[in-house]
Amino acid sequence: MDKKKICMVGDFSVGKTSLTQKFVNNVFSEKYLTTIGVKIDTVEVESTKLIIWDVAGRDSLSPINASYLVGAAGVILVADGTRESTVSGLLDIWAVVEKRIGSVPCVVALNKCDLPDWHVSESNLDEFASRDWSVFQTSAKKGHDVETLFHTLVAKI
Amino acid sequence: MNQLDELRDIIVGDSAQQLNELAERIEDVEKRTKDVAEVLSPAIDQQGDKLANSLQKPVSIGLKRAIRSEPKEYAEILYPVMAPSIRRAIAQAISSMMVTINRTIESATTVQGLSLRYQSLRTGIPYAELALRRSLLYRVEHVYLIHRETGMAIESLHSEGTEAPDSDAVSAMFSAIQSFVQDSFSSDESSLLSGFKVGEQNVWVANGPNSMLACVIRGDAPESLKTELYNTLDLIRTQYGNSLVDFEGDVAPFSGIDLYLQPLLQSELKESESPRSPDSKKTMPLGSAIFMALLVLGGIFFLAKWMMGKSDIATVEHFLRDTPGVAATDIYWSNGKLRVKGLKDPDAVIPYETLESYGIEQELLVFNMIPFRSLEVDMEMQRFRNELDLPTGVELLVQDGEIQLRGRAPLTWLNSKGSRLRQLAADRRLSVKPLAATRSSVSTLLKTSLPYDAVKDLRLSHVQDKVQTTVVISGSTDLPTLTLLRSLFAANDWVDVTAIPKGAQ
Ligand SMILES: Nc1nc2c(ncn2[C@@H]2O[C@H](COP(=O)(O)OP(=O)(O)O)[C@@H](O)[C@H]2O)c(=O)[nH]1
Ligand SMILES: [Mg+2]
Repeated sequence: MDKKKICMVGDFSVGKTSLTQKFVNNVFSEKYLTTIGVKIDTVEVESTKLIIWDVAGRDSLSPINASYLVGAAGVILVADGTRESTVSGLLDIWAVVEKRIGSVPCVVALNKCDLPDWHVSESNLDEFASRDWSVFQTSAKKGHDVETLFHTLVAKI
Repeated sequence: MNQLDELRDIIVGDSAQQLNELAERIEDVEKRTKDVAEVLSPAIDQQGDKLANSLQKPVSIGLKRAIRSEPKEYAEILYPVMAPSIRRAIAQAISSMMVTINRTIESATTVQGLSLRYQSLRTGIPYAELALRRSLLYRVEHVYLIHRETGMAIESLHSEGTEAPDSDAVSAMFSAIQSFVQDSFSSDESSLLSGFKVGEQNVWVANGPNSMLACVIRGDAPESLKTELYNTLDLIRTQYGNSLVDFEGDVAPFSGIDLYLQPLLQSELKESESPRSPDSKKTMPLGSAIFMALLVLGGIFFLAKWMMGKSDIATVEHFLRDTPGVAATDIYWSNGKLRVKGLKDPDAVIPYETLESYGIEQELLVFNMIPFRSLEVDMEMQRFRNELDLPTGVELLVQDGEIQLRGRAPLTWLNSKGSRLRQLAADRRLSVKPLAATRSSVSTLLKTSLPYDAVKDLRLSHVQDKVQTTVVISGSTDLPTLTLLRSLFAANDWVDVTAIPKGAQ
């Protein structure tokens, strides 16, 4: 079976861990995430085994730890649709990703779409569209579009 | 211009000129070479992969030849590549040894050491053996070969009876920990994590350029396992190097790799601590263990010195070590000569030719050797071959560690070498059990020394017993002949007479 490493990236508390949890068989306790900054889960999608690295940021200045990105076949950019800053922050995060591992396939999750106060500006959506990114409005809580999110990425890699 | 040329001119016109030019171009070797040269480079660019395939064999043969003819030059070129890994191997060896020494000293001085001493007194098992047993009690439960970049498991093996976890998740976690350690403490290549301990379990990690090997071990494994890990990584690299570089998640190119990892799934079980007679196993006292360790350290130091430019000594040492009948104890430079001290069997042959091909001339070498008799099998065989002047039909061979003379030999040869062979057999240097006289040589002897009538009813056959093979003369003959025969072969090991007098049946 083919295996692929993918990374969940995005600002603090946008729902990376929740989205992963919704989708996978849990392997490691979340303790790892806070101790060494990464948690690993695996799941089989079609005939590919995804090894999902849920990467926590080190601090507010460095939203992701770039050395964990190495070897990833694709990334899922996650933002919190109720916090505009996390959405526009995706562009900075993508710059870090691109610098470290190049222009790998990616999909965007605008998470927490079950919440009422949605703040995603048109300009951001246009920017994403211009980069040919597939954007999904997801809810880890309700399970909305979580499957589609992961399957779309698998199809791209 | 004849009519045919005219006709051609009409039909093909200007093309005739071009055709001529073309023909010229093809026939002229110089022009053709120029033509090929022009297209060669673009052709290579276009057919890169295919060309590489076709060139692989000739290039490899050429390379081998070139290296053989100028080993020194190539050694110099390769030095910068090899030296770091040799250095790493030495560092690894030294650190393994230090740990072993430390552990031995530690266990000799701690409370645990004291209790072992007491146990040793009580049971009669030598102290060193008890200490050794304690440190050899381990089991390698999981082995993971991990692709460094992606952190994915290329292969994982689990010892029987252990629960196999999701090896991809574990592998990813190992490599994440590796990155974490590197990020947090240092980015220096040599400061990679080489192991950690979780309760009863140790995780040992060997790092290669594209892969790492992690072993989960219950208990304390011997330090030599570390060297084994690195050797395995090296083996895998030579076998699967390209697949390792190209790995992106497909493990198919790595089929069969488990054979390399299988030996690592080793274990050493605790023996029952039943008392044994103290002399049942000889063990090494601590003092001589340290002495031995220092000796080995000295050897490593020697190797390091060689790496700094004294490669000639190492070359001589290497080839002399492989030479049967030579034991060099000291090789050193003095007055521009390489002096070799040690022992040498008079029959041993110094491999001057091989040494010369490594740039060490015969004149450079001065041997101060004490003659000795080497009992190495190779040496013995050579000596026997020289001394015994083997007839055709007899061969020297090694069977179960014993040198044997095998085959059928003329009786005359056997008689002339008989006492020497008996002596060698008595010294257990040679077995003559499968050696026998040829029947033809015995029958010739009979026919030439006895009248035809007397021998016509005699039969010859080979009979093998526990000790040797003899030619047995059976049948019947007249009494005087029989007496003669019996006295003739009375003292002969190779022939027996069982014949009976005529008319006695
Ligand atoms: N309402 C809602 N809350 C969510 C959703 N996803 C995550 N959360 C909450 O957001 C918080 C942060 O989630 P977490 O997965 O830890 O974010 P991470 O830091 O990106 O891994 C938690 O309290 C989650 O319960 C969602 O889709 N809807
Ligand atoms: Mg998280």
